[in-house]
Amino acid sequence: MDNRKKCCDINENIKTVAVLGASGTVGSLSGGLMAQNGLKVYFLSRTKEGSQKGLQRAIGQARSETIAQNIVCGDYEHLFEQAIGEADWVVEAVAEDVKIKQQLYERVEKYKKLGTIVSSTTSSLPLSELVQGRSEDFKRHFLSTHFYNPPGRMSACEVTGIENTDPEILDFMKDFLARRLRRVVIPVKNTVAFAGNRIAFVLFGRITTLAREFGVEMMDYLLGPYTGRLMAPLATIDLVGLDIHKAIIDSLQANTHDQMHSWLAVPGYINTMIQRNMLGRKTGGGFYKKLESGKFVFLDPVSCDYAPAIEPHFAFVEKAKHFIRMGMYKDAFETILAAQGKEADIVKDILGAYVAYSYLLVGEATEKQDGIEGIDKVMSYGFNWAAPSVIVEALGGSRAAAKLLAERGLDVPETLKSDLKSPFRIINSGKYFVAK
Amino acid sequence: MKNDAVYILGGFQTDFARNWARENKHIAAMMREAYQGGIESTKLEPADIKAALIGNFAGELYCMQGHLGAFFVDFDPHFDGLPTMRFEAACASGAVAAVSALAYIQAGIYDLVCVIGVEQMKTVDSAKGGDFLGTAAWYEKECVGIEFPFPKLFGKLGDEYDSRYGLDNTHLARIAQINYSNAKNNPNAQTRDWFMSYDHACAANQYNTTVSGRIKVTDCSQITDGAACVFLASQNFAAKYAGRHGLKLENIPRILGWGHATASMEFSKKVTTSKDNQYVLPMTRKAITDAYARAGIKDCWALDLIETHDCFTTSEYMAIDHFGLTNPGESWKAIEEGIIEPGGKLPINPSGGLIGCGHPVGATGVRQLLDAYKQTSGSAGDYQIENARRAATLNIGGSATTNVCFIVGNNG
Repeated sequence: MDNRKKCCDINENIKTVAVLGASGTVGSLSGGLMAQNGLKVYFLSRTKEGSQKGLQRAIGQARSETIAQNIVCGDYEHLFEQAIGEADWVVEAVAEDVKIKQQLYERVEKYKKLGTIVSSTTSSLPLSELVQGRSEDFKRHFLSTHFYNPPGRMSACEVTGIENTDPEILDFMKDFLARRLRRVVIPVKNTVAFAGNRIAFVLFGRITTLAREFGVEMMDYLLGPYTGRLMAPLATIDLVGLDIHKAIIDSLQANTHDQMHSWLAVPGYINTMIQRNMLGRKTGGGFYKKLESGKFVFLDPVSCDYAPAIEPHFAFVEKAKHFIRMGMYKDAFETILAAQGKEADIVKDILGAYVAYSYLLVGEATEKQDGIEGIDKVMSYGFNWAAPSVIVEALGGSRAAAKLLAERGLDVPETLKSDLKSPFRIINSGKYFVAK
Repeated sequence: MKNDAVYILGGFQTDFARNWARENKHIAAMMREAYQGGIESTKLEPADIKAALIGNFAGELYCMQGHLGAFFVDFDPHFDGLPTMRFEAACASGAVAAVSALAYIQAGIYDLVCVIGVEQMKTVDSAKGGDFLGTAAWYEKECVGIEFPFPKLFGKLGDEYDSRYGLDNTHLARIAQINYSNAKNNPNAQTRDWFMSYDHACAANQYNTTVSGRIKVTDCSQITDGAACVFLASQNFAAKYAGRHGLKLENIPRILGWGHATASMEFSKKVTTSKDNQYVLPMTRKAITDAYARAGIKDCWALDLIETHDCFTTSEYMAIDHFGLTNPGESWKAIEEGIIEPGGKLPINPSGGLIGCGHPVGATGVRQLLDAYKQTSGSAGDYQIENARRAATLNIGGSATTNVCFIVGNNG
């Protein structure tokens, strides 16, 4: 007879959470959000010291020491049974390794209540494989809650289940994440990288390839914040980490087969960077390196050494930036569309591909009935990019956007032709266009 | 004609969480976004706008840019030659721009006026910004050499309450908690994603430092970049607008009353002068009672909500008794009895106020008027006060030097 306590009815609120991997950024900061919103949260990791470092990170995110009264720190050896036994929801945020996660879930199953919800924060590992060997009850209550990093500033959360996941559990969690944790919930299909990472990393793949010919500094200048993103693309990869970038690209390359597949490349120089531990911000240098003087030097993809800034300057870019500075976003995009030359083509190619791929994934990565809105949400609240709908509006509407795609040799998705409506408009998206 | 109704046809505000300096945007971009949002939401024709009045406190200091009205002319080809002007009364700049627009309309000079309040403040560090804000007080007497002079001045307001009536700081903490909590329902509020609790508001530590005396960080409004726009119209224009858009004129909010009173600049003189008056700040009280009289209402209980100037928790504490929710010195009763909470008898700052929503100095008065419009037209979304028909706003400049109160409502 199974003597473990039955979990609370799914109609009740979640009261206690156990976060596994609480020493890491996603675990500690998403756990911190839960504590901020009144939940009791167990922070567990390999060592209690690691969990306590996570607690400090959570306090820093909240900017308040008072949340510590809601957090209990421990390690996998001493507090695991108590934490899992008490938890209504277990959040797994450990290393991106199938075996490690499988072993952890086996241990969770030993101590958890029947009906306890278990979610993984992964978006790139195959969810069904993670729960191989788990009971029917475990699988019914299993889903992915893909928080974006850092959760205190990026409120997007992609949510999906496996075939066995109880639809009522899924609906409950979507509501709970939105209502209690103030997440912008994006229901996605169980496909590799879901929606946000799939779109972003296809573009990153192409941009890293072009960087070989045009240079790192040039690419981030041409595709910088004025085009509708808070951070330039190669600077973003530095923030994410070159190793993570490669892992996501490799996963997409192996598991997707669509018109953008050829863009999923990892040029040789990136492998060299990884071998040399030039992983980005976390190792002190990647595409960018900050000198003691405060100045930046840029990776030369040919030599893999650093070179001083060349400070590129193109009239159409500077004119577009001026329009952005004055809040004239459509005028800025008219300037880009009117510009000629290979540098202007790069900007149009990437803008066009962003729109094309976003609209293509409606019905593939997200549900068709949600239209473009889900993808708008994940790109805005997960990446701080202007939503694809907003780019379409900036380009002059869906017909003008379709014309650009056709000119750039991209297929025009049916969803773009059908002029899907979205609450995302230029009028409420000015913050994504930065005059830099 | 004088005393004819002045209608509010709608407007727009920018997201007060934005940092426009980090976006490398010009202050004119803020005005443009507020205007464009207003035009989109109201579906007004630019050609019908007859004047633009801008409220702004310190564009020359924060942005090296004055003469802000002139930028409006570039927002639409119809605006070539449009009369534009800028108004300043420190943190009441927005409200004095609005009351001036009302005067133009009642005088029959213009029948549709765009009022924009704007301030860009994140262009300088907090110490310099504090010094700039000092020019809203008597700078050479009250602010020179003082870091963050305004928390000091409004701390003195708390001290004055304490000395006359007694003041428990936990009541101030409760005001902060309520306003931060209200802000969570406002999609444009600066602090909507911030953490706040009563325990945090009471604590004094590295995350809630004491700024001056009883004033801690959680007692202070925010440094905010923001712009807000409202369109004010004559009855004649509003009637045509209603007809064009299938609306009932009686459902469109209008300014039912207003009050505008200026006190002596120096804070110590204000409280010395009022020492025998049960109201600590009699000119603030005058602005409110003048508004009540013009609106034909007896007291605060004719209102459904108040958007008041909580530049600090002490200024909301003062507003509670000055609006008449309690007897003078008993504001704590309204706090303890839950009267000022969203579900209470007379909610205060459902938007989050200056503490929760943010305080772009020159924009606040216009933002308050816009929120009064939203509440009384049932368009405040998640922070809607149920069945709100009459709202008051109080916009204060300096240490309660300039005081402007509006009563907004509809007949529907």
